[in-house]
Formats: sequence, structure tokens, C-alpha cells
Amino acid sequence: MAMIDLDKMLVKIKNSQWALADIDWDAPGAELITEEQWPKLKEFMADLMWIEHVGARGFAALAKKAPNDTLKEIYTYFHAEEQRHANAEMALMRRWGMLDGDEIPEPNINLRLVIEWLDKYSDDMPLETLGSVIPMLEIALDGALCKFLLDSVKDPVCHQAFDKINDDESRHLGVGFTVLEMQGHGKLYQLVLKAMGTLMRPTLILGILSYLPLLNRMRDNIVEMGLKEESLYAAMKKFETIGGRTEHGRRNPWYQIISRHGRIVVDRRNRFYHVPVDAAVKLTNYIPPSILPPIPTWVKELTWKPTA
Amino acid sequence: MRNTVSLDKTVAEKKMLKPAAAKKPAVKKNTGEITLAQLESTESVAGQVNTADVLIIGAGFAGLGTAIRLQQAGVKNIVILERSTDVGGTWRDNTYPGAACDIPSNLYSYSFAQNPDWSRSFSGSGEILDYIHHLVEQFRLRPLIRFQRNVTGLVFDENTGEWNATTACGEQYRARAAVMASGPLSNASFPNMPGIETFKGHKIHSAKWDHSYDFTGKRVAVIGTGASGIQIIPELAKQAEFVKVFQRTPGWVLPRPDFVTPEWNKNLFHKMPAAQTALRRALFWGHESMALGIIWHSPLTALVEQVARSHLHAQVKDPWLRRQLTPDFRIGCKRVLISNDYYPALQKPNCKLITWPIATLCENGIRTAEGIEHQFDCIVFATGFDVCKNGSPLPVTGVNGRQLGEEWKRGAQAYKSISVAGYPNLFFTFGPNSGPGHNSALVYMESQIDYSVQGIKTILQRNLKLLDVKADVQQRYNHAIQKRLAKTNWNSGCKSWYLSEDGFNSTMYPGFATQYANQMKHFNLDHYRAINA
Repeated sequence: MAMIDLDKMLVKIKNSQWALADIDWDAPGAELITEEQWPKLKEFMADLMWIEHVGARGFAALAKKAPNDTLKEIYTYFHAEEQRHANAEMALMRRWGMLDGDEIPEPNINLRLVIEWLDKYSDDMPLETLGSVIPMLEIALDGALCKFLLDSVKDPVCHQAFDKINDDESRHLGVGFTVLEMQGHGKLYQLVLKAMGTLMRPTLILGILSYLPLLNRMRDNIVEMGLKEESLYAAMKKFETIGGRTEHGRRNPWYQIISRHGRIVVDRRNRFYHVPVDAAVKLTNYIPPSILPPIPTWVKELTWKPTA
Repeated sequence: MRNTVSLDKTVAEKKMLKPAAAKKPAVKKNTGEITLAQLESTESVAGQVNTADVLIIGAGFAGLGTAIRLQQAGVKNIVILERSTDVGGTWRDNTYPGAACDIPSNLYSYSFAQNPDWSRSFSGSGEILDYIHHLVEQFRLRPLIRFQRNVTGLVFDENTGEWNATTACGEQYRARAAVMASGPLSNASFPNMPGIETFKGHKIHSAKWDHSYDFTGKRVAVIGTGASGIQIIPELAKQAEFVKVFQRTPGWVLPRPDFVTPEWNKNLFHKMPAAQTALRRALFWGHESMALGIIWHSPLTALVEQVARSHLHAQVKDPWLRRQLTPDFRIGCKRVLISNDYYPALQKPNCKLITWPIATLCENGIRTAEGIEHQFDCIVFATGFDVCKNGSPLPVTGVNGRQLGEEWKRGAQAYKSISVAGYPNLFFTFGPNSGPGHNSALVYMESQIDYSVQGIKTILQRNLKLLDVKADVQQRYNHAIQKRLAKTNWNSGCKSWYLSEDGFNSTMYPGFATQYANQMKHFNLDHYRAINA
């Protein structure tokens, strides 16, 4: 992917804003959700909404690390846009009768752990780390989850909302891969040494420990709903293909780490990786929610209401 | 040999003012009513040429102060042209609820007209405006002021050595010297935001407050969290149904040591003016020491930032809200804010901070980028002033028809902030690079005024047709100023109203107030081209 002009991108972002009020959430079509679909879709939408929300917090951290004002403003918009996606997905859940009053769906324990980590440590992470992980999450979302949703749900309002969401996501990916390449500039040994230094940070190790079980749990949840595992893996491979198109992309050590990790995640035969991570997923089920600190207030910003 | 002219300090009267605040309401409404005295001074005939020794443009703090000091120096033939119907400039226009100065009143006043009766350490706009009105009465300035005279152009006549001002109503005023005291923060307008024209509710700008609008039970938005915004928000939160505060960039907020002045204190200042002068001096040096942390990056910078962080930590318990309110630029880069009640107000149940970018204004309110339409009855724009950094505040034509606006297009420049080569006999108050970031604006203003008085006296006493700063002197001065500015916190990377779009700093003075005062103390005639009439 060629580097994009970030100044032009910022203008484009500002000109492409939309609001929940642009969509008629009471329009006909909600009845197209089948009874069989409903319970699985409810869980899927809750996971999707939380991933968007977690991604939003990631962009908030990136805005603090942006090397220039343009990228900082872009990330500030992306933070808000991911929140908008989460809000729109909640509005869809509300439309489909999946929300209980004003309650927001309960995040699973692995999401809770990632939320805790993001809240405490994400602002201290270097740009190249978060800036490389986020395109991977985005591409997995864009390429697999949203596609699966649109293939299986016939409600036109859902399609209308996801047309807008996907437009936003394509801009997020464009910027994401540009930043990934930007981080591949400089002397290779310096990039590698810096990445190794970051990898040894206890806070990042904690982050990895909360991120890996989340990936496997999401994979299990999605597969259980009928998404073909291969389409998730195909989306993850896209990250490797697009990120590795240019020399600078390939020189970014975080691209190398994340794409190699992606290969391991998609290789079910790699028992060395999956046995302990799947065990960690099971183990986290035993963490009593009461020992976790209260949900941070940024989570309470979520809303399905188009007006306030 | 250096030719210097120094102002006779013995004429500086130190008259005490009568109590001001008790007699008048805390916030004076700008009703637009014209007093009899003002009516008298508006009588003039279009096309008629009025002459004076000195023409002062603007009847705010700077214009009135210049008139006082000129009179004290024996220059009596003065005309002040004021576009409005009242004196006071910024303090006449900014009457929003909570409007106050963030410099202690004992320092935010003229040393030659101290007020022993300030009701608080940091007075509100009403009391400051009362002080200005008292200056007018005390020094009998009203007959000099021509109200409702909006100057539309200022042209220098090289043959006669006079400035010719034209007003919107077609009058002409000629004078041997002119003082631009139009103020750096005198123009305000609604910002150019998408959809602003579509909003059907009420719109108010902080600098043009609508006192007839009742906020009780209203849904209110405040856009902007600068010096005006943080003063308005606590007041509106007391009245409105809810207040949503739209913040783009959080500023550094320091605690405000504001207290009511005890009666014994006022009595002491009445009986012993030296005590008030001593307090003023202590306040001055206290603020001067802040320069080390605020203007330049020093160990003190980290200390001042820590004080602001501790203030935030003490007043805001929620970590996310604290994060939203924590600036990511070095303290001093933008204007430092002073408040004790802003953070508590934001946490009231009817108040909410919104940091999502504004996507557009719409019929019912504001749509933010997280996709939500926030609906309001009224939007308050605390979005600051139209600061003139590129170009001149009004069309000014100098020698050989040169246009100041053109010359300042790429950034305003002057000699010692006050004289501009090619524009003789003209003196600027708050001209280029005269802004303080850490001390009272009036301290700087006094230096500028006294310098202008020296220049004007030189013109009149020596009967000069033309007193024009040498271009090379001005150039050298600016080269040094910009070199020094590069090392300051203002030029450390943040966006602020101190800088032009391309990052040129033509607003701030890179140094201590003492340095500024020292450079303004002596009027060095060698630096000027002087031609006799």
C-alpha cells in the first residue's frame, strides 16, 4: 500500500462524518432476524461492539504518541469514529431487542482484562507497538467479522450502518498501514533494539498476556456462530500481505512480530502455542469479577441513543 | 553621543481612588445607552477637519493611560477616538458571568493610579470597568473622548508631518502624532464552524454577552475551554438545566489565590499608600519569578507543571476525566489558566466535559464525531478573539504610500514593539512582540505609554515633522527578538493564538517584564530619523 498524504486524509475524514441520527433505526427490516439467529447474533454483536470500543481506546492512546499534529488529529477522530461504530452497533442491538433498557452488554472476562490493561498502560506504549497491532485488529474486523455479519443478516438498516462503518474502516486501514511503514524508517539494528527493549517491558508483557487469550476466545466465539475459521485466517493473512508490500513495512520489527504471530494463531496444529493459550482462556473464566477494579468511566460513554 | 530624553517622573501623580465596587453592580451591562457627556462629544460634522497634537485610537486601558500620562507631561491637546459608546475596551465588552482578571488587581492597575479599595485579590470585570470609569473622572478625560468614531483609515501626510484619521461617519482628524491603542483583544466573532448557520437556538459569544437571555432551566453548550470558557462554565452550571463543555485542547490550570479584601487591608492602603506599593512590588516579583518556568524550559517549568497536576489531582478523582483534562504540551506554550472552580463545576451532576471532535453544528445542536447529536437551547462560544497577527488592525498608510497591512502580512514587526519604520510619529500600544505570558499586561502597558510620551514630547518640543525609526535598527531588533523567541516555550511546538498559521510569533515578548521595562525606559533618538518641520 502506497503511503498516503495524511493532510489530505484529515480533510477527507472531516468531510466524511456521519451521525447515528442519519439512520432511521425504526425503519422496517428488524423482523428479518430469525429466531435461530438471534441468540448467537446477540453475542456476536456484543463482542463486535466491545472490540470497536477497545480499538477506540487504542486510538486514544495513539493520539498521545502521534509525532505530528495532523496524525494526532487523525487519531483523535479515529478514537471517536470507533466509538461511533460501537454506538451504532449498540443501536442495532437495541433495534433487534438485544439490550435490556439502558444497560450496556456485559464484556467477557478477557475483554475486561484488556480494558484494564488499556486503561492503565496503553498511554505509555510506544507508537510503533500500538500502531502496528491496531491495523491487524482492524483488518481482522473489516475482512472477517463485518463481512460475515453482512452475509448472514438481511436487515437493510444493518447494511446501511455497516456501509458507513466500512467506509470509516477503510480510512483507518489506509492510515494504519501508512504509519506501519513510517515506523520502518531508520537503521534496522536500532529498530530491532528498540522493539526488543519494548518487548521486555513488564507492562507490555501483561498486555500480551491479556491479548492472547482474548484472540483465542474471540476465535472460538466466532466459529461457534458459524463463521468459517478460514475466512478469519484469510483476513489475518491480508495484514501480512499489505503490511509487507514495501521494504519499510517489512523493516518494521513489529510488523514482523505481529504477522508471525498471526501465522501461529491461524495454525491450529501449533500445539506449543494453542494449548497454553486455550488453557489461559479457561483459567481466566475462574477470575471472579469482584476482584477486578470498577469499569473505567470511558466505558460509560457508550450509548445507543442518537441524541443526547 | 547618545541623545536620550527621559520623562519627568515628578509629574506622576499617585492619587487615591474612591471606593468603586460598592457603588456599582458587579457586572455592568453594556446597554448601548449614551450619556449626556458622550452625546456632547459625538457632535461633529462630516467632512470637517479636527486637529490636535496627539490622536489616540481607542479608549481602553492603553488609550486612557496614554492620555493621562501625556497630560501629566504637559501635552494637553489630545483627542481620543473611540468606536463604541463607552470607555473600557476589553472590560466594557467582556461582561460574561464570571468575567475576571487572572492577574491580581493590585498589579492589574496603573501604578500611578492605585486603588486601595479592590474588593477581592482578583477582581471581576465590573469592578475593573468601574476602575476605568474612575480613571476617566479622576483625570478628566471625558472631554477628550469622541465616542462612536470608528477609525477606518490612518494616513501619514509627509508634507505636513501629520497623521490623518478618517472615521466611518466621514470626519477627519489630524494630529502631529498618533497612538494606536485599539487593543489586541478587541474583535471577536463566531468561529467558522461547519453548520453554524443552521443552528436554530440562541448563540452567544463570550465577548458580546447577551444579558437578556435567561439560562435558568436551559440546555447549554459551551464551546471552548480557554480563559473565558473556564470562567463562564462554573457560573452557567449554577443556573442551567445542564451544561456540556466542548473541549479541543485542555489547558494548564493553576490554583487562584482569590480572597475577599478585609476592611483593615483597605484602611491600611488608604492610610499608608506605601504598603500597597510594597504589595504591588511583591506581586510583581512573584510573577517575574514565574517567567523562569513559564517562558523558558527550566527545572522550574517541571515544578509549575507539577503544581498544576497536583491541583488537577486534588480536584478531580476520576482518572479518565483527569486524562481528558491533562495537557500534552509544555506549560506556558499556551496561556496558563487560573481557576479554583472550573474543575469542580465540570463534575457537577448537570455538567459534562465532551472531548469528541465537533463534526458539525446542526439545527438542534452539535453533532460530535462519536455519532451523537447533542441538543441545546443555547450555544455559548468562548472561542476567543480575532487576534490580528498578520496585517494591521486598521488600514494604515505610511511614507510613500506604504501599507502596514501588506508589510505585516508575513508577520508583524516593530522596533521595541512600539515604532515601525516608514510610519513616523506613530506609536503602538501592545504592538508586535509586546505580550506578557507571566506578568500583568498593565506593567508592560505603562512602559509603552511612558516611551510614547517621550517620543511625542520629542516631536513637539523639537518641532519635528518626522520621527521615524531607522529600518536597520528595527531589523536588528527583530532578528534578536526572533532568536530569543526560538528558545521559549511559546515556540515549543503547540498551536496557540500567540503564533500565526505558519508558526511565526509576533505577539509575545521573550523576556522578563523588567527587561521589557528597561528597554523602554530610554528613548534613544539615535535610533530614529528626525526631520525638523
